[in-house]
Amino acid sequence: MIKNNLVKRQKSKKLENTSNGNVMIKMTHVKKSFGDLVVLKDINLEIKKGEVLVVLGPSGSGKSTLIRCINRLEKIDEGEIILEGTNIYSQDMDIHKLRTKVGMVFQQFNLFPHMRVIDNVTLSPIKVKKVSIDTAKQEAMELLKKVGLGDKYNSYPHELSGGQQQRVAIARALAMNPDVMLFDEVTSALDPELVKGVLETMKELAKMGMTMIVVTHEMGFAKEVADRVIFMDEGYIVEENEPKELFENPQNPRTQAFISKIL
Amino acid sequence: MVGLGFQFDLFVRILPELLRGASITIQLTAFSVAIGTLIGLFMGMARISRYKIFHIPSTLYVEVIRGTPLLVQIMIVYYGLPSLGLNLNQFTSGILALSINSGAYIAEIFKAGIKSIKKGQTEASMSLGLNYMQTMRYVILPQATRNILPALGNEFIALLKDSSLVSVIAISELLRRGMIVYSRTYDAWTPLLGVGLIYLCITIPLSRAVNYIEKRWEIHD
Ligand SMILES: Nc1ncnc2c1ncn2[C@@H]1O[C@H](COP(=O)(O)OP(=O)(O)OP(=O)(O)O)[C@@H](O)[C@H]1O
Ligand SMILES: [Mg+2]
Repeated sequence: MIKNNLVKRQKSKKLENTSNGNVMIKMTHVKKSFGDLVVLKDINLEIKKGEVLVVLGPSGSGKSTLIRCINRLEKIDEGEIILEGTNIYSQDMDIHKLRTKVGMVFQQFNLFPHMRVIDNVTLSPIKVKKVSIDTAKQEAMELLKKVGLGDKYNSYPHELSGGQQQRVAIARALAMNPDVMLFDEVTSALDPELVKGVLETMKELAKMGMTMIVVTHEMGFAKEVADRVIFMDEGYIVEENEPKELFENPQNPRTQAFISKIL
Repeated sequence: MVGLGFQFDLFVRILPELLRGASITIQLTAFSVAIGTLIGLFMGMARISRYKIFHIPSTLYVEVIRGTPLLVQIMIVYYGLPSLGLNLNQFTSGILALSINSGAYIAEIFKAGIKSIKKGQTEASMSLGLNYMQTMRYVILPQATRNILPALGNEFIALLKDSSLVSVIAISELLRRGMIVYSRTYDAWTPLLGVGLIYLCITIPLSRAVNYIEKRWEIHD
């Protein structure tokens, strides 16, 4: 509890420092369809540096699509996404560079099964960022220690538990030294007893000031770590607020219905 | 002396000659599968490309080759190409025809192999900033190749048998050596059974090996 309060305090201080115009991501009038299905209808969202944003919403509301647009795994149809002052669709934005600035962690881990843990983590630094092999390995070992897997560097993914795999996936994304981390229901595929370790890792990351967008239904995590929660429904952000407010006093009827269902 | 039964002593006498043919057969097959694998790799990738300039020609290639008899392809290469001013010797013609043929089948094997890798692998790789070629090279192909190794083994076995067709352009591979012995001794039975026997001696261990690899990997997945 004490530790948690500490986290909160540090975070709010950090946010104050950066509150005037220090924007990491700005989405304006973003629209996205798959064929006839309009998935994102008019998304306007601003995320500050160091902010932890939790995204809530029923299945199919467009949460995954929203965050996948930020590293261009999905292409938006209309609107604008500005990352640290640069439009991610502008001519001079190199998509591979963009992606090294945006770390992503998936529900299904998606580790590369034919590579050892260490090689999973060093692939992008070596091949994309052209870091020397020695440096990449050193940094990877640091990261693996940080996520509590310093002794597993030589294992193959299938030799690890789901929770361990997911923490490797987090280390792998962090190895690019990204400015933002995207998490798409990263604990949903895990056995309940493995969830905690992954959430701990994410909390640590938040504490260090990482900007994070987290799609999750883990209320505990949201309450403790999030600076802001948005609730999505049918392609719109229908409500946003501080976690405590949004959970205890939701305004929109759809938010109310959703919150009462998951609490 | 015309025999109706299998003459063991004759078989032993012609065995060195047949084995030289078998050696040619294996060389033909090995070269052709190697080249065919290269062709198949690129054609397989082109087959699943969303770009028409890759997709259409590769699809055409696969359809045409798989839709026409290998024997016809061999004859076109050997008898047809010279009329375009391209004169290749028999062995080269044989390898060319067999490579182009197996390339089409191997393209389909690669296509299936690449498609068998989950989309999440590509997405994870892309999200790490790797480009398409890097993603193929470091993430998709190593996994796909491992999955398709048994199928490639089977293709090798199939081509080894099909390579007997190049005997029609007088390459002295295994079958043709048998036929030569036949025309010399007027005994069809012994050399042709011997030829079949030698094919079996090569294909059975190979298919055992393929089965073994398949089983071992099933356990690991
Ligand atoms: N590649 C795609 N092609 C077609 N439709 C898609 C595609 N990806 C998503 N959709 C559709 O878009 C809608 C929103 O999907 P999305 O994955 O963003 O929802 P979500 O909020 O993440 O849901 P969940 O909680 O189930 O993960 C869904 O109806 C989905 O079927
Ligand atoms: Mg989703």
